[in-house]
Amino acid sequence: MDAILNALCCLMALGTSMFLWHRPVSIFKETGILALSLVVFGLFSYLTVDLSEPSLEYMPFRMLALCICFSTTSLTSHKTRYLVLSQVLWLWVEFFGGLTFVYHGLDMPWTRIVAIGAGAFGGAFLSHISREMEFLLMVYWIAVWMFF
Amino acid sequence: MYRILVYIGVALLLLGAFAFGVSLWEGPTAWHTDVRTFWGIPISLFVLWIGLAHAGTLISAIFLALGYPLGRRTSMVAELSTLCSLAVAALFPLVHLGIIENFYMVVPFLDARGNFSNLRSPLVWDFCCISVYGLVSLLFFATHLFSEKFPDLKKLIRPMAWLLFPLVLWVHTIVSLDFAVTFVPQWRGAFFPLYFIAGAIYSGLALVIILLTAEHCRVRVLEKLMLGLSWFMAFFWLWEFLLKGSFSFEVVFLGAVVPQLMWLRVIRENAFGRLLVAFSVLVSLGLERYILVTPSEYNAAEYFSWTDLGLVSFSLGLFTTLFFVFRAKFSSLLEGEDVVMGEIVLQQDESDKESEKVTLPEKNDFSILRLPLLIGVLVTLLYVVWAVSVENTNLAPLSVVNVAPLCLPLLVLVACFTLCARPLWGISGKRVKLVCAVLAGILGCLAGAFWAGGSSDVSSGVVSVQEVDSPKTVEFIWSSRCASCHGQDGKFNEKFVREFYPLPQKLTPVRLDTLGEDSLVKVILDGRVNMNPYRGRVSEDEARGLVRYMRHLAGEGE
Repeated sequence: MDAILNALCCLMALGTSMFLWHRPVSIFKETGILALSLVVFGLFSYLTVDLSEPSLEYMPFRMLALCICFSTTSLTSHKTRYLVLSQVLWLWVEFFGGLTFVYHGLDMPWTRIVAIGAGAFGGAFLSHISREMEFLLMVYWIAVWMFF
Repeated sequence: MYRILVYIGVALLLLGAFAFGVSLWEGPTAWHTDVRTFWGIPISLFVLWIGLAHAGTLISAIFLALGYPLGRRTSMVAELSTLCSLAVAALFPLVHLGIIENFYMVVPFLDARGNFSNLRSPLVWDFCCISVYGLVSLLFFATHLFSEKFPDLKKLIRPMAWLLFPLVLWVHTIVSLDFAVTFVPQWRGAFFPLYFIAGAIYSGLALVIILLTAEHCRVRVLEKLMLGLSWFMAFFWLWEFLLKGSFSFEVVFLGAVVPQLMWLRVIRENAFGRLLVAFSVLVSLGLERYILVTPSEYNAAEYFSWTDLGLVSFSLGLFTTLFFVFRAKFSSLLEGEDVVMGEIVLQQDESDKESEKVTLPEKNDFSILRLPLLIGVLVTLLYVVWAVSVENTNLAPLSVVNVAPLCLPLLVLVACFTLCARPLWGISGKRVKLVCAVLAGILGCLAGAFWAGGSSDVSSGVVSVQEVDSPKTVEFIWSSRCASCHGQDGKFNEKFVREFYPLPQKLTPVRLDTLGEDSLVKVILDGRVNMNPYRGRVSEDEARGLVRYMRHLAGEGE
């Protein structure tokens, strides 16, 4: 995938994350937004990338994981916990997706996995997350998506 | 009420018992299979019930871990449904295997028996992960159940929920890998782990809603979640269609359209309406599993034999009987005659309010979990170092990717037992302590056997090396040693491609010429990547004969 498509993916994930976790938080609203985001990501992937390429078949779910990571920066309570959990979700998607590729003869995206794992591990030690830190985290995630 | 449900369960069980017996007796010929369908109804039922088994504890543990505990009755019903579903699910791989007495060979005891379980196969991961999950779920359920009598146990519940939360997701992910790592086009999917987890939670919510309705109880938050998940499942089915073109109208209608009836007040406020929707979800997920497991071009369900239907009936009957017998009888025995399990009955609306309001103190969770987790991490690291470095496995060396799937279950198992050992020892009677000590001894012996493994030298009594004196002998060696993977005609064994991992190389003349005779002889004798070494079982002369036979087969295929 080229850089423009990658940037578009990040932009879409960032855009949809803005709608999540606004008060009052309700199960219907949040699951509805997440499901709708997934549909948008799915259609985007279907229209823009070659789905016969195995490494792109879980694209919408990677985008959803990134979207959830972005969304945790807007939480008002338990921010650290959900920040770690959201990155673990992303790690999960990447690791097990990668594991299926290994069995199909492709390479495991180790750099990406280590980068996300480091983010999750490091995030667990953040006792206070300032605005600047939120921005840095988002830049870090975008960098992981774009370059790894 | 429970008695009627038990009668219904027993009736279904008896209806299916004959089919179950025939399946055990006859093996895989008893149910519907064909050239493309190697995994028939038993594996479909296994996937369905294992999904349901994961959902109960998952629902209870996730809510608890994140600080929004469900009512005790709801949690206990969910956890009990997990254990009963697990018991049902565990039967079907045995049925599928056809040779029940050899099931123990799935246990990775190295090659002490001269038959090493392939640690790179998700089927072996499955066995290990599900066993750990069963043990930990049982411990979680018992701790939760007895926490009313022994308040000391209460402080263990939430840390255990934190351990179960990732474990249950991990285990179902591993189940999804049974499919995702194969080369069957319909099972292609790096997204299968999420797909399976969503399906498991969805079907589990439906099951818990049905069971709570039988209790004359209702938890609205679960209904909302089920409705929300129906949208996710609709997307997964859409994605399957976009990716592979596979679509089933029945599955989508029952699983994504019918649940939208919950928007209608008249349906959601009526017990029968809720039951209708929940049953529709279960039927949809059951069908979906069957279609997934039997990827035929035609509608395999039309070819259902009476044995297939009998096995479905057997699984439903067994679950219903187990669940309601335990619910009706043993719960009162365990907690006193006047109290039934989950006596803190949350009324319909109050349960929602309570689940939204109540949050448990969480500061102690980590301090309680710290030491058990540390021990778990150490044991897991030891396992990884040992597994990657071990050489006498009679297989190509294992990589981190091959051993990683067992890491979390091992960590959780060790952490959970370390966490519970002291409090449980304190409240146990002498007899229980004795049983525990004996069990611990047996477990220690098993761990020792696992560690010790065994010689990878093949017994001369089992294998005798023959001289290559004729083409007939080479053909015989090919049939006995190579055909199981490469096929009798050298063009793959279709069954291998579908059920095992990974795909063997195609033996084309070009490829054989490129590799050269010496190189191929070395591959046969010493193994390579996914090819097992045959030194000691095949002599060099035989290997050379086999290479020439391969060339002959490849020439025939041209």
